[in-house]
Amino acid sequence: MSVELPFQISIPDFKLDLLRQKLALTEFPDELENTGWNYGAPLSDIKRLVARWKDGYDWKLEEAKLNQDLPQFTKDIEVNGFETLNIHYVHQESSLANAIPLLFVHGWPGSFIEVRKILPLLVQSSPQFPAFHVVALSLPGFGFSEGAHKPGFAAEQYAEVAHKLMLSLGYHEYVTQGGDWGYVITRIIAHRYGGKYSKAWHTNFPLATPLNISVNPILFLQHLFTPYTAAEKAGIERSKRFEKEGQGYFHEQSTKPQTLGYSLADSPVGLLAWIYEKLATWTDSYPWTDDEVLTWVTIFYFSRAGPAASIRIYYEFVHSANGSQPSSFKPMIPLGVSHFPEELRITPRKFVHSVGNLVFQVEHSTGGHFAAYECPDELVDDLRKMFGKRGPAFGVVPGKNGYERRIRANL
Amino acid sequence: MSDSFKIAVSSTALSALKSRIESATFPDELDDAGWAYGVPLADMKRLVARWRDGFDWRQEEQKLNNELPQFTRDIEVDGFGSLNVHYVYKKSDTGAGIPLLFVHGWPGSFLESRKIIPLLTKGSGDSQCPVFDVVAISLPGFGFSEAPKKKGFSLSQYVEVSHKLMIALGYTEYVTQGGDFGSRVTAEIARRYGGTHSKAWHTNVLFSLPPENDDPSIYTASEKEGLARWQEFQRSGSGYFQLHSTKPQTLGYSLADSPVGLLAWIYEKLVSWSDNYPWTDDEVLTWVSIYWFSRAGPAASIRFYYEVAHSGQALGTKSSPPTIPMGCSLFPKELIRIPKSWYPGVGDVVFEAEHDKGGHFAAHEQPELLVGDLRKMFGKGGPVYGVVTGRDGYN
Repeated sequence: MSVELPFQISIPDFKLDLLRQKLALTEFPDELENTGWNYGAPLSDIKRLVARWKDGYDWKLEEAKLNQDLPQFTKDIEVNGFETLNIHYVHQESSLANAIPLLFVHGWPGSFIEVRKILPLLVQSSPQFPAFHVVALSLPGFGFSEGAHKPGFAAEQYAEVAHKLMLSLGYHEYVTQGGDWGYVITRIIAHRYGGKYSKAWHTNFPLATPLNISVNPILFLQHLFTPYTAAEKAGIERSKRFEKEGQGYFHEQSTKPQTLGYSLADSPVGLLAWIYEKLATWTDSYPWTDDEVLTWVTIFYFSRAGPAASIRIYYEFVHSANGSQPSSFKPMIPLGVSHFPEELRITPRKFVHSVGNLVFQVEHSTGGHFAAYECPDELVDDLRKMFGKRGPAFGVVPGKNGYERRIRANL
Repeated sequence: MSDSFKIAVSSTALSALKSRIESATFPDELDDAGWAYGVPLADMKRLVARWRDGFDWRQEEQKLNNELPQFTRDIEVDGFGSLNVHYVYKKSDTGAGIPLLFVHGWPGSFLESRKIIPLLTKGSGDSQCPVFDVVAISLPGFGFSEAPKKKGFSLSQYVEVSHKLMIALGYTEYVTQGGDFGSRVTAEIARRYGGTHSKAWHTNVLFSLPPENDDPSIYTASEKEGLARWQEFQRSGSGYFQLHSTKPQTLGYSLADSPVGLLAWIYEKLVSWSDNYPWTDDEVLTWVSIYWFSRAGPAASIRFYYEVAHSGQALGTKSSPPTIPMGCSLFPKELIRIPKSWYPGVGDVVFEAEHDKGGHFAAHEQPELLVGDLRKMFGKGGPVYGVVTGRDGYN
C-alpha cells in the first residue's frame, strides 16, 4: 500500500511573477464588430480578465482558501503496462463512520475544484439523508497529479487509477459520481469493477446512443410512439447547435493536442480564452465572478503536468480501441441520472436506458454542464434521494448505508 | 492610385518578437510521440532557437523586397468600405503577357508566388512558351493587406476585391491560378465574371460533389486512394478547419499572443501537407513571420473559414459550375483528389496534368511543374491559347 502524503497547493512566488510578466506583455488580437459570442470569447471579457489576473487577483489568497476547504493528498498509483503515477486527490471522511464511500470524477476543462461546493454537503450526517465519504481525484495530467508519459494512456487506465485509489484508501466497495470525461471513466469503472467493487453510479452527462430494436424492443417502440417533451425538443436543438458550432475544440484536441499545446503552454491569455469560452457557454447563465474564472484557469496554468497535458485525454480516448463512447457493454449496477437543461448533449429520455441499469432519473429546470459547481444543492439532493432510505440504491454498499447505526435492544 | 510598397517591419516589432521568443514556455511531450499528436517538441525547440538567434528577418525582408515588386491600393468593397490591398505585381519581360491573378490560401500568402513569378514573367528564353503579367494579391486579412472590420466578409467579397484589383490594373480580361482557398475564390471568379472578364482558370485542387448517378465501381485505384486520403484528412487532420469555422476569436488570442503557438499552428501544415518538401528552418520562419508581422495580425487570417461556413457557401454546397475553360494540375500529396467522373461538377476541364511528386503548396514545392502546366495550357497549341484578347503571351 503506497503512502498517503498530505498535500497543500503552494505555487512559488517566482512562478507567479513570471505569470504576471507574461500577462503584462499580452498581445491582443482585434475583433470584428458586433460579433458577441459567435466567433468565440469576446475581446472585452478577455481584456478585463487579463487586467484582473495581472493586478488585483490574489492567487495566494485563493490557494489558501482551496487548501482550507479541500483536504488534499498525494499517493503513488501503479498502472498496469504503464508507469507509477503520483496522484493528487481530495479526501474527506464524514464524521459518520459508515458513510457511503463516493468517488467523484471530473472532466475537461474541469478539475478537483468541481468538488468544492458539494463536498461539505455530502459529508454531512443527518437522520434525514445519507452521508458520504468523498474522494475527488485529479485525473492524470490535471491539477496536481502527474501526467502519463507514454502514449496510449486511455479510458481503461484512467478508470484503473481511480479504482486503485479507492482500494488504497480502504474503500473496497464504493459508488461514483461523474460528468464529462468523468461519465466515460465511471462507466468503465461500473463495467470493469462493477458488482464486486463499484456498487452504483450516478452521472449528469449520460451520453446515450439511439435505441436498438433488437436490444430494447419495448423502449424502442415506446420512443417511436411517444412524442418528445418540450424539454427533450429544446435539448435536441441544443445538441444539434453544439455539434455544429461547438465541437472545434474536440476535433483539434482529439487529433493534434501537441500542436495546440504549444499555444496553451506559452500564452496565459490563450489558455484563459480557451477555457473561459467553455465556462461561459457550457453553463446555464452561471454568474461567474472574474476571480472564480481565474482560479479555475490558474489551476490549469500551474498544473503539475502543464497546460498542454490535460487535452491529451481527448486524443487517447478517441484513438483507443473502444473509442470514447463504448456502446458494446452495459454495466449492470444501478445507475442514477440527473438531467440539467443546459447540458451540451441532450438525448431523448428513453435512450438513457442504453447507458446502464437505470434506477433513478431526475429532471431539473436549471443548470448546465458543470452541475456540481453550478447546482451543488440539486446534485447533492439527487444523490441523497438515490442513496437514501427510500431510494433505489439504499444500502448498496454493505455496512455503509450513510446513516447512524441503530443499536437494537436485545429483548 | 497605387502606392509602391516595401515590407519594413519596425525595429520595435522585431525586438518585441525577440523578447517574446526568449521567454517562451514549452510543454512536455509524450515518449516517442513522433508526429502523431502534432508537431514534435524537438522541431519546435530547434525552430524557436533559430528564430531567437540566427534567423535574420531584415535579410529575408530585403530579399523579398528585391524579388517581388509590391504595391498597395484602396479597393472599395460593397458594404465594407475601402480596404487597402497589398499585392505583388510583375509584368512580363517581353510585353503582351497574359494577365494572371494568383490567389493564395491558408496558411499561405503572397510568398507562394515567389518562385513562379520569375518563371512566368521571363519565359524560357526561347520564346517558345508564353509569358504572363502576374498579380499575386494578399487576400484581406493576410500579408500586408487590411482586414475587414465587419463580419460577413465572405467568398463573394474576396471575389469582388480580387476582380476589382485586376480591373484597376487595367486588365479587363485575365486568367487565374489558385490553390487552397484561392481555388475557391478563383472558381467563384470564374462563375461570376467568367466570359466577360475571367477567361480561363487553373487550379491545383479540385473539389465538387459527386454527380447524381455516381458509380463508385468505376473509380480507378488512385481515385479510390485519393478519396480515402480525403476521408482520413477529415478524420485526423481537419481539427484546425472545425475550429477556424466555429471559434476563430477564441483561437485568435493564442495566435496573436504566442509566436511559438503560431509557429506550431502553421508549421504543422507546412510539413504534413507538402510532399517531403525539404523546408529549411529559415524558409519556415520567413513564412510564419509574415503571419506574425501581418498588417491585420495573425488572428484575422482565420476568420474567412467562419464567414464562408456561415454564409451558405460552405464547401460542398451545391452550385452550378463555371462554364469558362479550366485546367488542373494534380499533385499526389494534395489533400483531396476527386474521381474524374466528378469533374463536370467542377467546371469545363480542358487541360489536366498529373504529377508524381508535389503536395498542397504546389507553387512553392514544384514551381517548374506548375509553371510548365500553365505554359502548356495557355501556350501555342494549348487548349486555351489566345484566350485573353490581344495578350497571347508572345511578342
